[in-house]
Amino acid sequence: MERETESLKEFLTDLVVPHHRCNVNIIPDHITMLHGTKSKKQHSRKRRAHKSNSLTRREYAELGLNTLPTRQMRYEQALPLHKLWRGYIREHLGLKEGEEVPQLHEKRYDEFSRQLVKMDLHGAKLRVHQSKCPTLVGLSGICVMDTKNVLKLLGEDHRVRTIPKSECVFSLHVDSMDFIIFGQHLNMRPAERSVKKIKNYVEPFM
Amino acid sequence: MGNNKGNRKSLSQQHVCSRMNFLYQASNLMAHSNNNTLAAYYGKLCRNVGTKALIKISPTLKRTLCRRCSLPLLPGINTTLEVEQQQTNPKEVEMATNTSSKRRHRRLRGKRNECHNKGANAISSKEAASAVSIDEKTQLNMECGLCGANRRFHVDTRNECWPERAEAIVHVIQLGNQTDSDGNKGESEAIQEQR
Repeated sequence: MERETESLKEFLTDLVVPHHRCNVNIIPDHITMLHGTKSKKQHSRKRRAHKSNSLTRREYAELGLNTLPTRQMRYEQALPLHKLWRGYIREHLGLKEGEEVPQLHEKRYDEFSRQLVKMDLHGAKLRVHQSKCPTLVGLSGICVMDTKNVLKLLGEDHRVRTIPKSECVFSLHVDSMDFIIFGQHLNMRPAERSVKKIKNYVEPFM
Repeated sequence: MGNNKGNRKSLSQQHVCSRMNFLYQASNLMAHSNNNTLAAYYGKLCRNVGTKALIKISPTLKRTLCRRCSLPLLPGINTTLEVEQQQTNPKEVEMATNTSSKRRHRRLRGKRNECHNKGANAISSKEAASAVSIDEKTQLNMECGLCGANRRFHVDTRNECWPERAEAIVHVIQLGNQTDSDGNKGESEAIQEQR
């Protein structure tokens, strides 16, 4: 790079009237090469942009944060999480002891069902109620991971199973209530689900 | 921000708050049971929910999550916290003053890194012999066990974050009067409004 700018400097100095040549002062930082090499300034900017303290997606994947080991977690380890989740869901839905699911004609039905879609599923005990794939039917476990298209359930046999959301209907049990959730409507990222606007009318499944 | 408006906003975001609270607790729980992958995942999700819903976590809570991987930093469990030695070498500074300011920084940075490595080695050898004396100027070094991100800070800082002061809080809203019967640690998340 040095050589290139040197020749450029020489060329520029040659253009100037000879007796003024001693006054020529060219700052190499101000030279921008259109092709070939890059000036010092461009190099340094690139390096600065690279230095960020958040993990890139690749680094994140290399640390193994996107994958869960299939057989290493015990079911008992997830039980405290489930306990925590029970407390959360009671707070989230505003439940009291022995409350029933609001009927369709009741006023709070709309609000209730909206909150139901927005809830967090980590730690919930889910069961596949119905599915297009017959082998998935009847699987149950505590949900440990929730991504855009997939739920990871930790079953009682200490195995993490990956279950696609869009093909399944899940059943969920909270205190004295039973819910049936169509996985189709959960098909978005968990972080986005809590702020997403939800239509009142949703098409039925299958 | 008007009082009335703030009230309405916080009430509409209450569900997001409780969700973030739950996720934070879940990530701490997982970190305590040595499941770093899930802990980082829940921490990250807690952060992401906050960014999506435009809610800010209170700085003290925010700082307990790792800057890079959002793992809850628990010294002794998944994080190493150690005392760092002072390294100011007057010779090097004198030498560097001759050159231009830009160069000096660059050179110093390189040298500092070298010194760090030396310092770390020295600490490990010194700790075996005797405890390092701790005064106001000692620096602590905190290293995340998962991603290896470093954080350094002084033992004694007079600096105070603005939201931590009493004047910064306009009013506190309590969410949910019921007590946590399930033995939650009760990270009661008071919403703080800043002027």
